[in-house]
Amino acid sequence: MNEFLNLFKEAIEREDEVRLEDEFRKYDEWDSMAYLSVIALMDDKYNKQMEEAEFNTLQTVGDIYEICTKN
Amino acid sequence: MDTLFNPFSLKDKVVVISGAASGIARQCAISCSKMGARLILLDLNGVGLAETMKLVDSPEYHFYSCLNLLDYDKVSQVIKEAVNQVGKINGLLNCAGISTTNLFKITKPEELDKFFHVNVYTAYFLTQECCRVGNWAKEGGSVVFFSSVAGNLGEIGKSTYGMTKAALLNLSKHLACELARRKIRVNSISPGAICTPINMNLPHMKDPEKRAVLEAQHLLGLGEISDVANACIFLLSDASRWVTGTNLFVDGGYSVK
Ligand SMILES: NC(=O)c1ccc[n+]([C@@H]2O[C@H](COP(=O)([O-])OP(=O)(O)OC[C@H]3O[C@@H](n4cnc5c(N)ncnc54)[C@H](O)[C@@H]3O)[C@@H](O)[C@H]2O)c1
Repeated sequence: MNEFLNLFKEAIEREDEVRLEDEFRKYDEWDSMAYLSVIALMDDKYNKQMEEAEFNTLQTVGDIYEICTKN
Repeated sequence: MDTLFNPFSLKDKVVVISGAASGIARQCAISCSKMGARLILLDLNGVGLAETMKLVDSPEYHFYSCLNLLDYDKVSQVIKEAVNQVGKINGLLNCAGISTTNLFKITKPEELDKFFHVNVYTAYFLTQECCRVGNWAKEGGSVVFFSSVAGNLGEIGKSTYGMTKAALLNLSKHLACELARRKIRVNSISPGAICTPINMNLPHMKDPEKRAVLEAQHLLGLGEISDVANACIFLLSDASRWVTGTNLFVDGGYSVK
């Protein structure tokens, strides 16, 4: 899980801590570029491809983590 | 007069300079150190780097490493080590590069590859490494790519070199967009001809006749390394805090006509 949080932090270029319960859209760093980076992270590291509509239903960092780690 | 007024100060700013063993980048290192910067100097020429370290103010404040910028893993390692030692980065001068004069009709793919790797890829990946969260300072800062008049205009025998320099010029505009959110400004600088080890054996500098023609093409004559270093101080300092995505000609008027 720590590895995921670090990768997520790096993807959205956030200096401060990232927690699973955080609503990622509330981060100052969240914007269209952060979105693209997270989509790329999910694809490259976890082989998970996602449509924008589906992504829009996710709320927390934990929601993304769950998708990434589910078989 | 307010003697403390100095919008060009680099006091306590950490500045990475690639290619610092020679020519323009060496002068940038010397000038930036005089403006108060703490330096991270990189070059594959260790002897030249050691010489630069003798010429900078307060050498004990600075970090230097002899490395080939094509060795990307090593670059990553060295930048981490440098940041731990000197502090998070506020500025980067991507100065390392090579030049050539060759004709389009005889240029081989391997040659193009070499030039794109050394002039473009190294700057691209050094910038990527420096700009990582954790390496770059939270307050933002300034990245400068070294283009050239040859990256903006046509000349005979400069297509290989010129294409790499045009790539850097364009790269700086895209990165200006991507990095603005972190208050990192990105600009390019396009020097005209200055005699340094990069070109002193190329025909346009070595041959007195060709050199005279070149000199006449620069309205103010050929430049000096400090002309470019001073422009870099501007781009690194807070004096240029509202300048990003631009290309600064420092060319004695070469590009005017
Ligand atoms: N001198 C000019 O007339 C002129 C004009 C326009 C642009 N420029 C640009 O300014 C920059 C500096 O040029 P200069 O005239 O000072 O050249 P220079 O040859 O004096 O210095 C270039 C330095 O880059 C280093 N370098 C090259 N490849 C490297 C690598 N793979 N890893 C690490 N270091 C490497 C060299 O060792 C050298 O110390 C270059 O990018 C050049 O294209 C120069």
